[in-house]
Amino acid sequence: MNKQEINSITALKKELLARHPELSKSEIHGNTLCLDTDSDSYQALCKNLNHKFAFPLVSMFASDNRASTGCFTIHTVFAHRQAGILISIALPVDPSYGAFPSLCDLIPAAALYEREIHDLFGLHPMGHPNPKRLVFHGNWPKNHYPLRSDYPAEKRPDFADERIEFTRIDGEGVYEIPVGPVHAGIIEPGHFRFSLAGEPILNLEAQLYFVHKGIEKLSEGKTIEHGFYLSERISGDETFTNSLTYCQAVEKIAGIKVPVRASFTRVLFAELERVTSHLGDLAGICQDVAYGFASYQFKMLRGWSYRIADELCGMRFLRSVNIPGGVRKDFVHGKEEILARLLSELQKELAETEAIVMRNSLFIDRIENTGILKNKIAVDLNATGPGGRASGVDFDVRTAFPYEVYTQLEFETPVQSDGDVSSRMKVKLAECFQSISLMLQVLERIPQGTVREEIGMLEPYRSAYGLTEAPRGENIHYVMVGENNTILRYKVRTPSFCSWPALCHAVSGNIVPDFPLINKSFNLSYAGNDL
Amino acid sequence: MSFFTADLISGLISNFIQFLLILLLAPLSGGIIKKVKALSQKRKGAPVLQMYFDLWKLIRKESVVSDTASWIFKATPYIVFAATAAAAFMVPVTTLVPSAISGDLLLLIYLLALGRFFMCLSALDTGSTFGGMGASREAMISALIEPSLLVSIFTVGLISGTTAVDQMMNTMKAVGVPLLHPVYILCFFAMIIIILAETSRIPVDDPATHLELTMVHEAMILEYSGRQLALMEYSAAIKQLIFLTLLVNLFLPTDQLVSLAGISGAGAAIPAVVIAAALALYILKIILASLVIAITEISTVKFRFFSIPNLAALSFILAFLGFLQYFVLGR
Repeated sequence: MNKQEINSITALKKELLARHPELSKSEIHGNTLCLDTDSDSYQALCKNLNHKFAFPLVSMFASDNRASTGCFTIHTVFAHRQAGILISIALPVDPSYGAFPSLCDLIPAAALYEREIHDLFGLHPMGHPNPKRLVFHGNWPKNHYPLRSDYPAEKRPDFADERIEFTRIDGEGVYEIPVGPVHAGIIEPGHFRFSLAGEPILNLEAQLYFVHKGIEKLSEGKTIEHGFYLSERISGDETFTNSLTYCQAVEKIAGIKVPVRASFTRVLFAELERVTSHLGDLAGICQDVAYGFASYQFKMLRGWSYRIADELCGMRFLRSVNIPGGVRKDFVHGKEEILARLLSELQKELAETEAIVMRNSLFIDRIENTGILKNKIAVDLNATGPGGRASGVDFDVRTAFPYEVYTQLEFETPVQSDGDVSSRMKVKLAECFQSISLMLQVLERIPQGTVREEIGMLEPYRSAYGLTEAPRGENIHYVMVGENNTILRYKVRTPSFCSWPALCHAVSGNIVPDFPLINKSFNLSYAGNDL
Repeated sequence: MSFFTADLISGLISNFIQFLLILLLAPLSGGIIKKVKALSQKRKGAPVLQMYFDLWKLIRKESVVSDTASWIFKATPYIVFAATAAAAFMVPVTTLVPSAISGDLLLLIYLLALGRFFMCLSALDTGSTFGGMGASREAMISALIEPSLLVSIFTVGLISGTTAVDQMMNTMKAVGVPLLHPVYILCFFAMIIIILAETSRIPVDDPATHLELTMVHEAMILEYSGRQLALMEYSAAIKQLIFLTLLVNLFLPTDQLVSLAGISGAGAAIPAVVIAAALALYILKIILASLVIAITEISTVKFRFFSIPNLAALSFILAFLGFLQYFVLGR
């Protein structure tokens, strides 16, 4: 298994070197192929990877390496999902020039990443069709680029006063409605600008980043342990998966393997978080069509899964379970029986609820053909997770880039092709059952042993990618360490970042009263996007 | 002879007492519906009397009015409340009174429409996004549901030979059990759909939603607060009870309605026991009707907005078939 992977990654390296002899450096670190390129051949290389090999663009970010190499670096990451290989391309950018060629025309998914890089580093994507601000709003002054290493984290710039312009749709009877950032109900903040003709939505533009916390800046120069706590606080309902992704990256740098018992424990927690998250989404979908019974039924089940979390670790939001090198203590010991019982109860009640809910024809009428996300758009924008799988994107990090002990467990990845609210609901329901089954398998097969390994001193200037399947999809964290076990650069790319534009596409053509329903069927994270 | 005969005065007193009764009971039916829904969701839910507490709380709070609002915004709660209360004055609850001081059903319907018209204006007045959307949706729904409301009312009116509310009820009282009759059962079901639409219930609207983008009635009163909001909510509750009263007193066994006509002289009082029994029966029927609405709400989901015409069409067809049945079968 392992050998074959190395074979294919070397084959890929050979193939790429043959096509692009100009590549100055190419290294293999685990499942990651690192290539160095220059601005002349950058676009051609990316085009080749995306168009010829059909590798999706999965992440793109900059890092400030002026101290060591004298320039900024743009990291462009593609994924070879069939073989589980990441291709990370490093493009140096001269600080005096401050610009890099945009990939937007070749790869639509690059648009947001490049705007983010521009806001945070002040590097200009040349040829970007819409270089509007992304992270910062009108109140952030120009020429303040907080992720540059010489920008102090505690600096509070003066307020600027600039209006944010939204895409205007012209036409007779076309009008706009602004919604948010503060919404009714207890949800996160985000501003939505609808352009409408009567009730049908012509265009939706989402203005996010109201809960930008500066996670990436805060982690600069902090210890590995401190970085772990930051990763847990990216998004409240994805605490575990974010900390797991971070730990995975650190463990790759340290070159250690987590004890098997810890790996099993991690799967248990990750799946529990998935079930909890999905049950909340299902309750939300039902609530938005005023299907009270179903909504409260799913909410009750969500309460049950919180109870399981409480039983496991005494913390319903799963904080401080992980630690780089394993888990903090043996959470499962002595609780196998009660957990198995609680999980079977959850499974039984969920099956009964599904039988009632999915037979309600009025409900089905509401969710079918609502908010269709086309497969082409899902692929182009790299929408992953349940949202992507409901549109026929058959991809699951757990099988494509296996981590922990997922290869030893049996599970299926449910895929639907219609891309509507109904498909997303079916995928989430099926995933709940898969996750419960995975947890039950873990409880059966978990071996005895230690749960923690020391990570020790990390070799400075090494970097790695952590990659997990979060409840909302593919989650990628990049960690580069500096001297004395500190963090040099921590880049988080949650699945929500890619899926927000997909949601905007899924909404157009629908009517306004259906927007909350479509939004809830994706249930993307604001905090996870805004960082 | 003076206009104020003893009959008229006793009739007016009786009318006024029944009017107070509607005002008093109005928040109750909403409470019952909420309680039943909560129980179906394995929740305890708020107390049945919660709306009384809410209104009391709101009345004591200050109102915040947008700077851009005109007099329409400030006047609307009072107009809506006055129109609804006037409509309530015409609905016999337990006692039928001579028609000279009773109202016409058309007047009742269009008094409620007057309130709705001003509600739509006030929703547009503040210039907030959701108010405009709510107003346009409300206008659409009411335009769709009005034909079936009129046809079902006219069918009963045709049989009674009048559109005076109390005489219609008197006629129906003579029918005995209207729901066994094909004409009335069709009109009854048409009326239930009308009530769901007129009182912003699921499948047409969701009274419990927090999502502004999906709201209809709630979106229109979103800008109101304090005493003004209390008046708007109270008016909505009264309107709901008016419709429920019309439903139960027209279509459910109406034997309990005590007739005041024919009893002459102010001194000839109707035995208190009869009135009390009539009142008890009335409350029982209202609870029953609230249960029907609650169960409809539990077992359906909110329709896609553009499917509401189908529902209105269904209601119209039921009412119209009832109307045709009258010519085929007679009463």
